[in-house]
Amino acid sequence: MTSLITLCGKELRDLSRNRSVRLLILFLAVVVVLSVLVAAADFRTKTADYTSYLAALKASGGAVNAPPPDLFPLQMLRAGMEYLEIVGSLFAVILGYGLIAKEKNNGTLELLFTRPLARHSFAAGKILAALIIWTAVTAALFAVITAALLIAGNAPLTGTDFIRLIIAAGHTIIYLTLWSLAALALAALTRAPATGLVLALVLWLVVVLVIPQIGDTMDPDNQIPGGLFASLQIDKAHEHAVMANFTGYETSRDLIEQASLTKQYERPLFAWLGIKDQYNQQSPAFVWAGTFNHTLWLLAGFAAAAAAALLAGTRDKLLRKA
Amino acid sequence: MTDMAIETSALAKTYGSKQALEALSLEVPRGEIFGLLGHNGAGKTTTVNILTTLLPASSGTARIAGHDVTTGADRVRRSIGYLPENVHFYDNLTLTENLTFFARLSGVPDPAARIAAALEAVDFTGHGQEKMSSFSKGMRQRAGIAQAILHEPAVLFLDEPTSGLDPQGVAKLREIIISLNQSLGMTVFMNTHLLAEVTKTCTSIGILSSGRLIYQNSVAATLGAFPDQASLEDIYLHIEAGTPS
Repeated sequence: MTSLITLCGKELRDLSRNRSVRLLILFLAVVVVLSVLVAAADFRTKTADYTSYLAALKASGGAVNAPPPDLFPLQMLRAGMEYLEIVGSLFAVILGYGLIAKEKNNGTLELLFTRPLARHSFAAGKILAALIIWTAVTAALFAVITAALLIAGNAPLTGTDFIRLIIAAGHTIIYLTLWSLAALALAALTRAPATGLVLALVLWLVVVLVIPQIGDTMDPDNQIPGGLFASLQIDKAHEHAVMANFTGYETSRDLIEQASLTKQYERPLFAWLGIKDQYNQQSPAFVWAGTFNHTLWLLAGFAAAAAAALLAGTRDKLLRKA
Repeated sequence: MTDMAIETSALAKTYGSKQALEALSLEVPRGEIFGLLGHNGAGKTTTVNILTTLLPASSGTARIAGHDVTTGADRVRRSIGYLPENVHFYDNLTLTENLTFFARLSGVPDPAARIAAALEAVDFTGHGQEKMSSFSKGMRQRAGIAQAILHEPAVLFLDEPTSGLDPQGVAKLREIIISLNQSLGMTVFMNTHLLAEVTKTCTSIGILSSGRLIYQNSVAATLGAFPDQASLEDIYLHIEAGTPS
């Protein structure tokens, strides 16, 4: 346990002073926060327009009660979450690869493994460091984007909204750490860490971009810009009635999407934040009932990546020469 | 407790069909500075890697300070210090942070005191707060020896310790090795092919050729046994030439 903490502490200190890591995290933070700020500005404008419209209506003596527009503050996070999903996971791969590559390329493994280390403490120290790094980065990012919603968007967040944000942050920590651990395992398993990086990038490409893209392409509603059903002026009830005739096709499409851990992250994330219409303004119990299976798959993916990293990061596997 | 710091019996290592080390039987008494000589590819680094538990042997046995490298690997690791040929540290950390890290991994109870003592032993005080990225090769070698002796090991393994050093660096390192051996009583096992250095530093030598130990004796006895040879280098070449490959 002592060596695990020592290894983890060294890793955190080393990473915190690594310019490339700092640059990547800063870039991620800027794009995420910027996207939220843009959405927040739009939200603020729409709210102000509605307020001034109401005031004008009242001043003209109009008796019509204008309904407020559908403005849900957490939906402003959509673009930011997509950046985390794609760019964040890519950076997580690079970070995970770096955790092993620097030891293999610099030759520090020989100094480490002539010390009395327990079999899995080297990998466990790296895993713990990756988890702590992504927890810190995600917590800081969510704190900033929540502040952006409140200040720049002037958004009225409720207590439930804060809980939804915390759950979304939890999913993000698991998702990003998972990618770092997968890259770590591949860099440890391959003799040359660069080969591991290439394999991790191929895996990332397939899971994050290719599979979700296949699912999106198969979605009937995505065949026309703006949506097939919307362009045909078919409402939701009728859309569901139409789609009921294509359950086999939809099941296949759903299974393809579910093969991607990115979708297992995105579905609960978008549900908790109300980005997905069917979960917007629904109770936490409703959201949980509809998405817990995705959360469990995400956790299973995390456990598998952690186990792979733990098994791959042993003395005998790491000391094989390139 | 055995008087031998290092004992190997029929130690062998094969990589596929290539025999890197063949039936190596070697005894190095405590308190020696032992130099393992041999041309490139003779099996010196393979021997050190097996003795430091970095590489499993294909057959045979090896004991360091009485502990078997296979069945008592962790006890061996507590008994040895190791300086690889090209020593690397974590460049984003300072020397003290690097040494603290390795001291903690070795279970040193008071890292700060031991780091001060180790830096003093290698005459390298005053550099503790400098980042490793600013260190020259000679400075890294001294820092490397400091990390190797943090836990006061019984046996110190040095793989080509003078490789790439300038003459001043070589002389300083020699002085440090002899001092560690004499003042702390450490047994030193070094791989080298710089024979002039061996004469000045080592008390005994072994010669490896194509994975086989073809000679072992004290330096003094070796020099006395070949009066017609001018130097250890000539003796080495003479012994090597007499060995069928």
